[in-house]
Amino acid sequence: MKEPALRALLRNRKAAFGLAVIAGFAVMALLGPAVVGDPTAFVAVPHLPPSWSHPLGTTGQGQDVLAQTVAGARVTLAVGFTVGLLVTLLGALLGVTAGFLGGRADALLSALINVFLVIPGLPLAIVLAAYLPHGSWSLVVVLAFAGWAWSARVLRAQALALRGREFIQAAIVSGEDTLRVVLVELLPNMASLAASAFITSTVYAIGAEVGLEFLGLGNPGAVTWGTNLYWASNDSALLTRAWWTFVPAGTCVALVGFALTMLSYAIDEVANPRVAAARDVEPAARGEGAPAPAEDGTAATGALLSVRNLTVRYRDREQPALDGVSLAIRPGEIFGLAGESGGGKSTFADALLRLLPSSARASGQIHFGARDVLGLAPEELRAFRFREISVVMQSALDALNPVARVAEQIVDVLHAHESFTATAARARAAALLHVVGLEASVLEAFPHTLSGGARQRVALAIALALDPRLVILDEATTALDVVTQRQLLDRVAELRATLGLSVLLITHDLPLLLTRCDRVGVLHAGRLVDLAPAADLQRLARHPHTRRLFAAYEALGLAPRRAV
Amino acid sequence: MNAVLRRLGFYLVSAWASVTLDFAIPRLMPGDPAAALVARFNGEMSPEALRALRRAFGFVPGSTLTQYASYVTHVARGDLGLSIAYFPARVSDVIGTGLGWSLGLGGFALLISFTLGTVLGVVAAWRRGGRLDSLVPPALSFLGAFPYFWLAMLVLYLFGFTLRWFPLQHARAPDLLGTSAMTLVVDVARHAVLPAAAVVLATLGGWMLTMRGSMLAVLGTHAIKLATAKGLRPRRIMWAYAARNALLPSVTSLGMALGFVVSGSLLTEIVFSYPGLGYLLVQAVRNQDYPLLQGLFLMITFAVLAANFLVDLVVIWLDPRARA
Repeated sequence: MKEPALRALLRNRKAAFGLAVIAGFAVMALLGPAVVGDPTAFVAVPHLPPSWSHPLGTTGQGQDVLAQTVAGARVTLAVGFTVGLLVTLLGALLGVTAGFLGGRADALLSALINVFLVIPGLPLAIVLAAYLPHGSWSLVVVLAFAGWAWSARVLRAQALALRGREFIQAAIVSGEDTLRVVLVELLPNMASLAASAFITSTVYAIGAEVGLEFLGLGNPGAVTWGTNLYWASNDSALLTRAWWTFVPAGTCVALVGFALTMLSYAIDEVANPRVAAARDVEPAARGEGAPAPAEDGTAATGALLSVRNLTVRYRDREQPALDGVSLAIRPGEIFGLAGESGGGKSTFADALLRLLPSSARASGQIHFGARDVLGLAPEELRAFRFREISVVMQSALDALNPVARVAEQIVDVLHAHESFTATAARARAAALLHVVGLEASVLEAFPHTLSGGARQRVALAIALALDPRLVILDEATTALDVVTQRQLLDRVAELRATLGLSVLLITHDLPLLLTRCDRVGVLHAGRLVDLAPAADLQRLARHPHTRRLFAAYEALGLAPRRAV
Repeated sequence: MNAVLRRLGFYLVSAWASVTLDFAIPRLMPGDPAAALVARFNGEMSPEALRALRRAFGFVPGSTLTQYASYVTHVARGDLGLSIAYFPARVSDVIGTGLGWSLGLGGFALLISFTLGTVLGVVAAWRRGGRLDSLVPPALSFLGAFPYFWLAMLVLYLFGFTLRWFPLQHARAPDLLGTSAMTLVVDVARHAVLPAAAVVLATLGGWMLTMRGSMLAVLGTHAIKLATAKGLRPRRIMWAYAARNALLPSVTSLGMALGFVVSGSLLTEIVFSYPGLGYLLVQAVRNQDYPLLQGLFLMITFAVLAANFLVDLVVIWLDPRARA
């Protein structure tokens, strides 16, 4: 882990808590025994409840529970951390060997790792411990043997992933010594994962250690948290109601385990900031429009969709994603929106259906017919979606539900908005598939069995399910081959003619827009920089960005002049 | 079908590996447990029984390979030798008395815990940052950090000894012969409540956090965005889209955790003197009953392998993509 990562770790609340608790127990293990005196001495009558002279009472043998608990930290933690370290080293050695060498060595080691993972560790440890002389070193050996597979598996996966990365490949190709590549390039990049593996293995080790000792497989003469519990149980702690004999040791085990777990979460958060950031994304974004001002007449110009001064800001970004965009789409129009990635095209599409993440704030006005989209209440919004505006998404290839059949995904949108009998809904679903040129047999298919083109057609069928007035195609054909792309867009053009549909076609492919759209707008850095009929855009283009786009396509011989 | 056969093959290899471990451990460890046992029982055992015991250990005359072959054949026939603690009962019979109780208790507790934890995880992820999401996971994580058997002691202390709500030990009352089936069922259920509760308390947080994590991952996908865009009711998006997809990694991790849960459940039995495999395990340890110990290791491993296979089948059933 690098310097800044360490500092970030110390600022993390979970890490601070975890480290503080561990440090506390470490001090207790190192210095405590000298303070509390001999834990094995018989100091009072057995099962004495907590009192001033014995704050945690006495054991069934008449020993001081506080002294036993404090002294118990030493061996318990020493064994736990030693096993954690051993297991991590062993795991790193085997995992890196397997992941980095690949081939037969990997196949063999992976099989071994998987077999050891699936064999339950504690019973194996019990059998081993029963055959060894009871003692702390035996426990270390036994627990390491029964528990190495998990960290080996995790570290192997990481080594395998890193080996495929460019900087490692480059080092290998440049003829660097394998050992050097592993030590200098590979291992430093595995540090945070190794730290996590160490912590998780230590938690496992302490838990299993305490379990074995509780069974009587530790050294019954040693003072550890596990043997404390073993004796508490043997001396009928429950029958005599001597709760103080078993509560302290168990609580210490839990505190250490909990602190270590928090520390490992913190390492994950610092090492993979995306894990933490992902929590900000609100999928079911309840669009946060500024309360829209009263109608100002813009909605009444006969436009189907009228957007005025739409601005979208993300909490973590200085630049607005959309900056004062105004445009209108007429009934039956195919409107094209062009612009480079990150220019705000998808943000615009999401804003129309109020699908923006919760970290986004939208202001301005969106009117659809007479309705104020940013002002819709949740239930109104739900009814509005797909009934009025539907969308075929940028990543419709993975936007279908992978575990549901096509039929279910068409039928559920029908049921969500209208009352259909099961038979009627199914018939409608089959009819929709027919409209997009698919066989009714596709109803029974799962998405992964369909080709990319067929999946996109399914997505289009879903978008058409409720006869919406506007369909957004958000880079919907980008991932398709040219032939499939053309078939799909031809179909959309037919539907526009037969159903009177309006279409918002969003793509970075300007030549495509010019051939397919009535009017085309160009988004650049969140601003609508040009807007003109498709046939006139090149002539009327004002913004340098639009001109550069045309120049670039012309240089490639791609820009169709005044094409229809 | 192919996927099923592949997994089955893997578990057969794992079963073979555990039999081999069972054979190797006594031979690689210092000392000769068989000789020690034979010495201990000399004079008390008929020469016949002694021979049977040695044979069961695989200590037949001949090379290691011959011994191994003999050992594997015995295991395959279900002959695990004679128990020492329960002499002269056969190990397989002794294990037979506990297997049902362990499977029943462990399976029951696991089912409740996984179902409840998964539902909690779904709701927590759906209402992220809400009360359930901010208070419950840390509390359950903390509970999960306690050893299972310690939680067992605690619930037994609180609800058995102090409040006297539930029986203190065993799986059923001893004097139920001749009573109705209903009484028997109620009695067995009452005996199972506390041990099951201990296992549930210890594991609930794990399932909840796993499901919460995979829900959060799924909630960020395009499938959920499209489902929202479709105007589906929130409840439908939550269960049919988010939870159904998030369940897959969650069930897979259930398979990974089975070994731990089974181990913890066995230690819990000891606290309640519940007559399952865990209780037999502690008897075997105390009496240095090596044949029983090794037999238990094999049986527990086989049970875990079988349960893992079952989980794989569930994953294949849940995920159309895994059916290839």
